[in-house]
Amino acid sequence: MENSKRVIFNKKYWKGWSSGWNIFSILAVVVALVENLLVASSESVDNGPYRIFLLIFIFYLLFVYLVGYFFSSRVKFYSGHFAQLNISLGILLCVQDLLTEKFGTLALPYFVSFAQILEQMRYDALLLLESTISSLVLWLISFVIGALIGVVLGILLGRYRQFNYWSFPYLKVIGIIPAAAWMPLTMVVFPNSFLAEVFLIVLSVWFPVAFMTIGGVQGILPTYFEAAYTLGFSEHRIIQKIVIPGALPNIFIGIFTSLGLSFTMLVISEMIGAKVGLGWYINWAKSTGNYSQLYGAIVIMALLFSIIFALINKIQEKVLRWRQMAS
Amino acid sequence: MAANGKLGGENLAFLEVKDVSREIFNNNGKYLKIIDDINFSVADGEFLSLIGPSGCGKTTLLRVISGLDNPEKGEVTLAGEKIVKPSVSRGYVFQHGSLYPWETIRQNIGSGLQAVQGKKFDQKLVDHFIEIMGLKGFEDAYPNQVSGGMAQRAALARSLVLNPQLLLLDEPMGALDAFTRVDVQNIVYKIWQEKKTTMILVTHDIDEAIYLSQRILVMTPHPGRVKEIVRNDLPFPRKRDSSEFLETRKRLQQILNFK
Repeated sequence: MENSKRVIFNKKYWKGWSSGWNIFSILAVVVALVENLLVASSESVDNGPYRIFLLIFIFYLLFVYLVGYFFSSRVKFYSGHFAQLNISLGILLCVQDLLTEKFGTLALPYFVSFAQILEQMRYDALLLLESTISSLVLWLISFVIGALIGVVLGILLGRYRQFNYWSFPYLKVIGIIPAAAWMPLTMVVFPNSFLAEVFLIVLSVWFPVAFMTIGGVQGILPTYFEAAYTLGFSEHRIIQKIVIPGALPNIFIGIFTSLGLSFTMLVISEMIGAKVGLGWYINWAKSTGNYSQLYGAIVIMALLFSIIFALINKIQEKVLRWRQMAS
Repeated sequence: MAANGKLGGENLAFLEVKDVSREIFNNNGKYLKIIDDINFSVADGEFLSLIGPSGCGKTTLLRVISGLDNPEKGEVTLAGEKIVKPSVSRGYVFQHGSLYPWETIRQNIGSGLQAVQGKKFDQKLVDHFIEIMGLKGFEDAYPNQVSGGMAQRAALARSLVLNPQLLLLDEPMGALDAFTRVDVQNIVYKIWQEKKTTMILVTHDIDEAIYLSQRILVMTPHPGRVKEIVRNDLPFPRKRDSSEFLETRKRLQQILNFK
């Protein structure tokens, strides 16, 4: 009990740890499971996947609680911090189940229970997997190309006055146009829809990255360059050792800005031209009126895009660790 | 005579500043003379300080000597060669914040060496300077994780590893607190004694100038001109509380019109 009273401070996981909240969080999900088992359903739904999901969730919470309690202080910070949030998640799962599947207050076809979404996802598993991989590949290729173009242009525009003078006014006007505006044209001009999609996503990515990179390069302290001249740096080395690292904080801002735009463009372009991918899957669901499919795709997108976001955030933390002050 | 016996010899002129003037357009579009008709020379191995009130063009003069700026009139020669652009043979230590914040102290110190020698640069030399600058244990920290004094010692080391013919110090101790300043002054003194590098120090600290330099060039502002070059023949190492030290200070204060 003494443990539960102790307040532990950690910058990232700042909420204190207590057995009480952890046990409550497990109970909240158990309640959601029991409710799903006991309350009679008004819709015909295969609750199997949902119950397995809840069971995995319960065991996961139990696991991090026990590991944190007995073995790892890092896990303890983590499980303690998120315990209260997990309670709200358990309650939400319970409430949505009652409102949709059980009482039908929010009715089909527009409102679908989470259980039904999971059932649909299991039914379409292969197709969804294929679509997810296809979307991921398309996004990755396009985003990398777009970000690279943005960084290279941004460095050239930020570092070289003549280049800036002759090209930035034009690039600015082109870059500000929403990529979606080019869609009717690209679908006709490009030999296949994949290239058209890549083009559109690249178009939505390069400008925010380039624009932020320019600011980053121009914001580098002149002293850094002057020091470099007295230290015998070549222009190549100045780019490599001063311009790129100096602009990186801004480059990441540009990347995060364009991330959302790229996801939007990914889904829109797949809806229009593709025969595979999450955007196509949603469009297909729309045509058949199967909204649980739509929700399934949304769940996958939420997961996928969150993971991508978190990964880039991790990369940023690693690359810009020089900005952290001594602790 | 000073320790290394090459004091202020006009015959041994190593660095020559001849009729140097620097003019700029200020924000109102007016032509402004920053330094005017500067003439002096420095002997090989000498330590010269530039002092004067702020706005007298000390830093401008130092930048002209380094080649970072070019004078509108006159020229600067080092060992007979005209200076037109910065070079590794002329080290320049800035007032503060010139270390690259994204490189560790070790990477910063080695950055010039790597630029000159390529990938297989002399790591041992870098280690040597980490040692003598008292940066051991902090070599893998980033500049914003160490104290201002350490950062300036690292900046000093970064220039010194390149073994420059001439080291230009632009108020490198100016932004430090009193304790740290003395500490860095002592390191500069030690290095000058050991390596016999010719050094020019810009400072607004009279004591610092007397403590370190063999000659002190006093400047007056608007525009910056040489008022007087004061010889400072006190024996090294100098004591800051000796009567000769205080006398020299009084003389400089008179030249600078201090009450």
